[in-house]
Amino acid sequence: MHLKLDILAETRAASTDRRLAAINHTAMLLMMVAIAAILTVAMIFQYVKGELPCPLCLLERVALFGVCFGIMRNFRHGFAYRNTGLSLLWTIFLLVVSVRQSLLDIYPRPGHAYIGSPIFGIHMPVWSIIIALALLVAYAIKVTLVGSDAFMRTADIATFPTLKRIADAVSLYVIAILTINAVSVVVQCGFGECHTFGYKLLQ
Amino acid sequence: MMATIFATTLLAFVSGWRRHGRWSLLFFFASLALAGGLFLYEIYSPEYGFHMPWLQTYDARPAGSAVCT
Repeated sequence: MHLKLDILAETRAASTDRRLAAINHTAMLLMMVAIAAILTVAMIFQYVKGELPCPLCLLERVALFGVCFGIMRNFRHGFAYRNTGLSLLWTIFLLVVSVRQSLLDIYPRPGHAYIGSPIFGIHMPVWSIIIALALLVAYAIKVTLVGSDAFMRTADIATFPTLKRIADAVSLYVIAILTINAVSVVVQCGFGECHTFGYKLLQ
Repeated sequence: MMATIFATTLLAFVSGWRRHGRWSLLFFFASLALAGGLFLYEIYSPEYGFHMPWLQTYDARPAGSAVCT
């Protein structure tokens, strides 16, 4: 009887762990999808509307790719809080750059004003602050809700085939748009300083 | 410089995807360091340094004349 109860309790605990692991992987995946969507919108503004990114805007894009890097490592190398740390480093970098850029442009002066079209009345640097804070809040909530990572060691994303397939697809998409951005930066800036006047290599 | 940052970030991703853990971390920290350096370079002004004088406010009244109500 005791043995039966023990087995039942173990099965229930394993099931809870697996559910928590699924929540954790899904949350990470959703963050990556959201960042990929933001970067895609930025690229649409650049290539369709002809709004060239400024140097600090490009650094903000790098920071968003950096956040994705930590998430991708969790998918490819197995879960580790070190990877969360890598993402948080870039999130803090994003916050620092976007706050500084907002302070540079907050008081309109010759040569200094918010560039690009606002979205819902808010310009990109201010959106970047909101995005960085949202990422920090998301990580804080995830750590609070999911708590200990002991269960993650036995529940790699590979044990969830559908999530794994989606994670691989999103990771490859992020690598693809990063490649496009890298080529675009070379065309815009060459190997020198970046300007928003035009594509240096096309002039 | 910006091209180098994007190139190192791309290398970090590709090596991470191919499960070359150490290389991906190496490129990751290289891109972070380069991005930090470029950020400081971009915000530095020969005129103001790192200050932002357009944000500074000061009390124009003589010292000690402020009245608490």
